[in-house]
Amino acid sequence: MTDTLRSICDQCTYLKNPRLDFIPAELGRCREILLRDLQELVVAATANNEKSVVILAGIILEGILYAFVSAQTDYIAGRRGSFEFNPDHSLQNYLNIFNRWLNDLMPAVTLPDLIVSYRDLVHMNQELKRPPGTCASAAREMLRILDTFLEALSEFPIPT
Amino acid sequence: MNDFGTPVRFPLRWRTGEEGPPFAEVNWTSVDHFSQLLTSDRQAVGRFFDGPEVLCFDRKILSEDILEEFNILTEPPHLMKGWYVEADRAKNKTIRDLLSFYDAVKPHIGLVKTFDSPDAENCRGLIHGEIGERWLPLSLNGLKNYTFYNELQQGVPGFFLFRGGALYRILKFEEKTASEYSNLVLKRLPDDRYPEVYLRSVHLSEKPAA
Repeated sequence: MTDTLRSICDQCTYLKNPRLDFIPAELGRCREILLRDLQELVVAATANNEKSVVILAGIILEGILYAFVSAQTDYIAGRRGSFEFNPDHSLQNYLNIFNRWLNDLMPAVTLPDLIVSYRDLVHMNQELKRPPGTCASAAREMLRILDTFLEALSEFPIPT
Repeated sequence: MNDFGTPVRFPLRWRTGEEGPPFAEVNWTSVDHFSQLLTSDRQAVGRFFDGPEVLCFDRKILSEDILEEFNILTEPPHLMKGWYVEADRAKNKTIRDLLSFYDAVKPHIGLVKTFDSPDAENCRGLIHGEIGERWLPLSLNGLKNYTFYNELQQGVPGFFLFRGGALYRILKFEEKTASEYSNLVLKRLPDDRYPEVYLRSVHLSEKPAA
């Protein structure tokens, strides 16, 4: 029997009790928004609402990457010579920056490019292009990916 | 643009914030123009192929011929790209039916084979995912996020369908230490621990009933 979203969510400790200490104080509003969205995600997952889970998880992943990349600007600049955070970037941009410059900080995390395709299921034409059932498996994978990411971030040093 | 722009002087010590010499000379043009020269006037671009080293790239805007000419590796040799097909979805479908569903969709997973049985009935391999626009091997932790891995653990083994029509039933995953596998992938996994998938071929004429 395939896991339901509810049963997966029950096992996602960090999704239900997120620790967003990695977000610096100056991004307080970003933290509030993420906490609100995470609460909504848990409600959607508990109700087995696949599409809501895919979209919300995509939004949250983008928000977390936004905050994390922003907080690690100096680290990235130290590695590549210079780096300027662009708050208008897309999920794909932040994901590329994470995978290129920040993944070494948390090697247990795998953020495949696939999450962008999943988040794009918000568009009717994107879902129509995919086989039936894609949304169901995307919702499950997004929950697990997000929980693993939140776990790694919970162990990340608090910015000073 | 249909020409090279005026070369730009770029300070080699830019990382330290110095704007003085020594300088690198940056030549620039459009992707279309460069691609065109590759086929129509190779001499004009010959100077860029004297021991080139690619420092960064954006695969989405580069043409296939440029990727090939500069040997920009975004996937390991012999990578097979495909999709996970859930057991329910494969029921009573031919491989042709499945391909008609999936062929227009961007591949979900990749496989680099590590073993093929002489009768081609069974094989093993390393599952890859596209990460940062490169096809990289998935660690066991990475696999645990995927539906195909979790469904197998729950006793609902599905299939991998690959471009061209190869269809395999997923039998099991087994993690092993194998330093030799680092030669097969673009990025070595920590401690050379590779989860290997065991697959059994499903024949073209066979309906892959679950």
